[in-house]
Amino acid sequence: MTQSPSETEAHPLQGFVDGVAAAVGGTAEIQFDTAKVRVPAEGWVEAHTTARDQHDLVFFSWLSATDWANTVEAGDSLADEVEERIELMTALSDLTEGRLVIFSTDLDKADPRIPTLVNVYAGANWHEREAHEMFGIDFEGHPNLIHLYLPDSFVGNPLRKSYPLLSREVKPWPGTVDVEAMPDGADEPSRENPES
Amino acid sequence: MTIDSDVVRHLSEAQVSVELETGDMTLNIGPQHPSTHGVLRLVARVDGERCFDVKPVIGYMHRGYEKLAEVRNYPQITTIVNRIDWVSGYANEVPFITAAEKLMEVEVPERAQYIRLILTEMARISSHLVFNASYPLELGAATPLFFALRERERVLDLLESVTGGRFHPNFNRIGGVKPAYGSGSNTRKQIQDLPAGFFAETRVAMDQVAEAVDQLEDLVAGNEIILARTRGVGVLPPEVAAAYGVSGPNLRASGVPFDLRKTQDYLPYDKFDFDVITAPNGDCWDRWHVRLQEIRESTKIVQQAIDSIPAGPLQAKVPKVIKVPAGQTYVRAENPKGEMGYYIVSDGGQGPYRLKIRSASFSNISILPWILEGALVPDIIAIMGSLDFVLGDVDR
Repeated sequence: MTQSPSETEAHPLQGFVDGVAAAVGGTAEIQFDTAKVRVPAEGWVEAHTTARDQHDLVFFSWLSATDWANTVEAGDSLADEVEERIELMTALSDLTEGRLVIFSTDLDKADPRIPTLVNVYAGANWHEREAHEMFGIDFEGHPNLIHLYLPDSFVGNPLRKSYPLLSREVKPWPGTVDVEAMPDGADEPSRENPES
Repeated sequence: MTIDSDVVRHLSEAQVSVELETGDMTLNIGPQHPSTHGVLRLVARVDGERCFDVKPVIGYMHRGYEKLAEVRNYPQITTIVNRIDWVSGYANEVPFITAAEKLMEVEVPERAQYIRLILTEMARISSHLVFNASYPLELGAATPLFFALRERERVLDLLESVTGGRFHPNFNRIGGVKPAYGSGSNTRKQIQDLPAGFFAETRVAMDQVAEAVDQLEDLVAGNEIILARTRGVGVLPPEVAAAYGVSGPNLRASGVPFDLRKTQDYLPYDKFDFDVITAPNGDCWDRWHVRLQEIRESTKIVQQAIDSIPAGPLQAKVPKVIKVPAGQTYVRAENPKGEMGYYIVSDGGQGPYRLKIRSASFSNISILPWILEGALVPDIIAIMGSLDFVLGDVDR
């Protein structure tokens, strides 16, 4: 059931993914049964058109991004230094054998912009609005690039790693969070605290 | 819009038909409306009885789970994910846990996989019964509600007897399922199992549910009003559904025989015999009918799984502190509402670096502007209800 990248045996998806990657000018990689094709940002829309029309990937599953950052305001930092970038991803599937391919491209963090996919997959509309408000990605040519979840007046891009999580700023974790401090001032650590 | 009294008199006297001009009006529906299953707001431009430019406004329930997951560890996240689609809380946990197990390369014991499968199907039955209760109600038929919710209560009671929760079970652990209280010794060292009598009671309940499905079909399918209000209403062609990412019963009602239970290996569905239910027309009626028949298929799966469930442990050996090795994976599952998936980016820590949650209802209702274009105002509720969404699943 599990397939690690170290196994040398060809993955059942390998042939299909290599074909897709060759057709769109990208590089393929299969990791833990998940096929990912990296494509250059310039060929983003063409790659999706090709995938849809020639490789049967007609089902638009989702679009999202990952913020690769060396300094993070919420959560754990990465173990190794990475190149600062925003990785934009779409997941496309066929509707016969359930083959799913994730398309990925890197965007400049200072000014992430890319043409919209709305004309290829109509369903990209809402997903791009979400990525726009959460990561600050500008989808050029999008018909209605306004906030989806967040209030109109909301400032900031919450899923960027530079955006702090307010609840954790107010009440850090782990700390004496589950048990209030003893009234007599005794400095007893919480029993629930996994770090103590 | 005012009708001139002279015009009316003129019409009645001269017996000629005159097209009356209708003006545009903006109609706000929601966010508080009984048929929205939560807080969804629709802004529609209405011209007479037809609506155009429908704009769904969502986010009233946005809880930011993807950000919250970044500051939590894996066992903590299971408590979050079963609140996404609360009508089938159990089913939400499975793809998330499977994704984490995939990265950890943990083999889940077969018995635990069977238990996951049985409970997932019971969650599907419960979710589809809620749909079968609420949808006829939205169309004005109150009686099916009582039939469907009575059956759902049977299923929820059984789920509760195993997991302790009706809505938020939090029953999956990395490497298996939580040993349940009630069977054998209760000391932690010893392997525990599902409560005594669970399988026998589930068999009876499944028979009763299957019988109730027949009753519901007789009750609803023969109703002239429901037929008139759903046949040919809100037709969704398969290629449009695919482009919008509409999945699950909504997609199958448009004639696409696609079911992740048949194509993915997140649970051992390949060992059981069941049909993928499809319907040819993609209208509201088909979406209702597909879900009704899927309940029957799910009861079949549960019965087969109980017949063949292997003995063995419920938990694989996993470290006490769960650390997931670095890697990325996407695991998707056939949830009652459609494709539910989790994309995990792990950096070897106790929590994910990034968790993308793909929820079915989000894509399923992104179709609303397309499907409601030019629809009659009274059909808005019929069409919306037939898509069977839950706002927690939309807003995440």
